[in-house]
Amino acid sequence: MSWRRAVRDLLRHRVRTALSLLGVAIATALLLDMVLLSGGIERSFGRLLVSRGYQLRVSPRGTLPFDTDATLDSAGQLLAALRAEPGVARAGAVLGTTAFVRRRQALTPLVVYGVTPEAQGIYQLDRGRDLAPTDTTSVLLGTPSARRLGLGIGDTLRLVGRLDPRVAAAAVTRLVTVRGLARFVYDAKDQPSVAVTLRLAQRLAGPAAVNRASLFMMQTTSGARADSVAAQLRRKYPAVSINSVADMVAQFRLRLSYFRQLSLILGSISLVVTVLLVGTLLSIAVNERIGEIAALRAIGIARSSILRQVVLEGLLLTVTGGTLGVGLGIGTARWLDAILTSFPGLPAAISFFVPDARQLSTAAITLLITGVLAGLLPASRAASTPIAATLRNDAP
Amino acid sequence: MMPVILARNVDKQYRLAKQDIHAVRGVSLSVATGEYLAVVGPSGSGKSTLLTLLGGLDQPSAGSIALLGQELGGLSDRALTRLRLERVGFVFQRFHLLPVLTASENIELPMAERRVPRAERRVRTRELLDYVAMSHRADHRATQLSGGEMQRVAIARALANQPAILLADEPTGELDAATGREILALFRRLHGDGLTLVVVTHDDRLAADAQRVIHMLDGRIAG
Ligand SMILES: Nc1ncnc2c1ncn2[C@@H]1O[C@H](COP(=O)(O)OP(=O)(O)OP(=O)(O)O)[C@@H](O)[C@H]1O
Ligand SMILES: [Mg+2]
Repeated sequence: MSWRRAVRDLLRHRVRTALSLLGVAIATALLLDMVLLSGGIERSFGRLLVSRGYQLRVSPRGTLPFDTDATLDSAGQLLAALRAEPGVARAGAVLGTTAFVRRRQALTPLVVYGVTPEAQGIYQLDRGRDLAPTDTTSVLLGTPSARRLGLGIGDTLRLVGRLDPRVAAAAVTRLVTVRGLARFVYDAKDQPSVAVTLRLAQRLAGPAAVNRASLFMMQTTSGARADSVAAQLRRKYPAVSINSVADMVAQFRLRLSYFRQLSLILGSISLVVTVLLVGTLLSIAVNERIGEIAALRAIGIARSSILRQVVLEGLLLTVTGGTLGVGLGIGTARWLDAILTSFPGLPAAISFFVPDARQLSTAAITLLITGVLAGLLPASRAASTPIAATLRNDAP
Repeated sequence: MMPVILARNVDKQYRLAKQDIHAVRGVSLSVATGEYLAVVGPSGSGKSTLLTLLGGLDQPSAGSIALLGQELGGLSDRALTRLRLERVGFVFQRFHLLPVLTASENIELPMAERRVPRAERRVRTRELLDYVAMSHRADHRATQLSGGEMQRVAIARALANQPAILLADEPTGELDAATGREILALFRRLHGDGLTLVVVTHDDRLAADAQRVIHMLDGRIAG
């Protein structure tokens, strides 16, 4: 009967209850989004880094992959050496550069990835045929570049290399054929990328880029632990930076710590708002019903029963509002995710709001405790109502 | 035989601002089992205050009150609450039913508090509704009842746990004459069934029904 009574008590003032529920729902949605946001981007980033199975990255000393324009020298030799290391199953090189396509009078810029096709972790071939290791006349297009250029498999295009103002010579140009369409996993939304062999990318990047690479990606052998392979390589190759996925996530985490603190603060504020809302509503309700409560105490209803009934009402309000809030929170998370992932420079595959069972249940329990806490103050006031004086004052 | 209520030299003072209000002064009173007692007197003479003290809703400033031989002064709030639940029935001028509950739910409430099994509760509630002639309104919310109907449900609620005594403060105060008479008849019947009753009233007919009437004046029993 207690639950039913709590429901009916809340329905005494429908508009007031509805507004409070809305408030709790919004606060819950905010809490949920902050919880999803604070850990989600890390988890999503970690997943993205190993999505193609490459757990280690080698980049110029002191940098993270593609963090700067710096490149590694003697890429061919270094790649061969890395491939020979115990614990390394596969290794590939990537050079990122810019090239252009001449269309009518204009030059359309493209992001060019030079890869070793036999070992690459940055794209997934969707259609057509992959690049061959020594092929310098083929290109793979990402969806945005295919759309922008209006080209498909079998079409040819003329790639114009980087224009270096310090070098008088004309830029390198190459006629290449589109062999396939690929999805570039680290690309930002609408980034116009293409893939060619490392050799061709080095040509297009100009004389300074001969035998250079932006980074190497490595897969460890199935028995080896990525972190110990990374440590062992770090000792052997002190001139470069070697990072495991865990290292990079940790770096990323560090950069996001400000962000996480902010979401923690906003999440806490939403809990405070819930306490205030529920607490205020219950205080008003207790005030209105103080005569009823005193009469109940007079006929022998225990303080604990009064307390329980008010707390129950608070809990009901919190749980109902919270349930509505989960729906609202998931909706807004989707919407915000779409906005945030279209930020330039961010891999489109990153998701900001990633649900995690443990975090969600922590949030749910926190919310319940909040509901109980909010009810406790008005409840104890109700339970300690002086019976005779209240009954007397309640009379007309 | 042990009296249901035994009050000795009971005093109740309220301190308001600088002024002391002496609401009850040196009242001694014994109520025997099965007795029907009416308390009358002018407004402000201390009738309600006395009833409050007798029912264990408040503590006297001096003197002692025993309910069924049990000294109220020595009891914790919890024990006092339990005693009210099990041994005392209260009827108020303004009924004080829970508006969100139906008539039968209101009657069940004190039994639920005592953890009487549901089936037993249902049976007893049906009996009580029948006793106060409210069976036809069992499932109506308290707010849908008239004053007289509410008071009858309130009396049924007061009887739910088979109390040793029923305390009523102006039970007909909010009712018209005809409806008041119904309540009067109900009290007479309760008395006939052996219940001990203490009723505070301004209603001469009610007082006339009682076996004994005490008059209060200025906090004292005047006769
Ligand atoms: N809680 C209280 N605080 C202060 N004064 C009180 C309190 N309760 C009662 N009094 C005072 O005690 C006196 C007796 O009040 P009480 O309510 O007992 O009178 P009563 O005989 O029931 O009157 P009525 O017939 O109007 O109900 C009054 O002067 C009243 O103002
Ligand atoms: Mg009175």
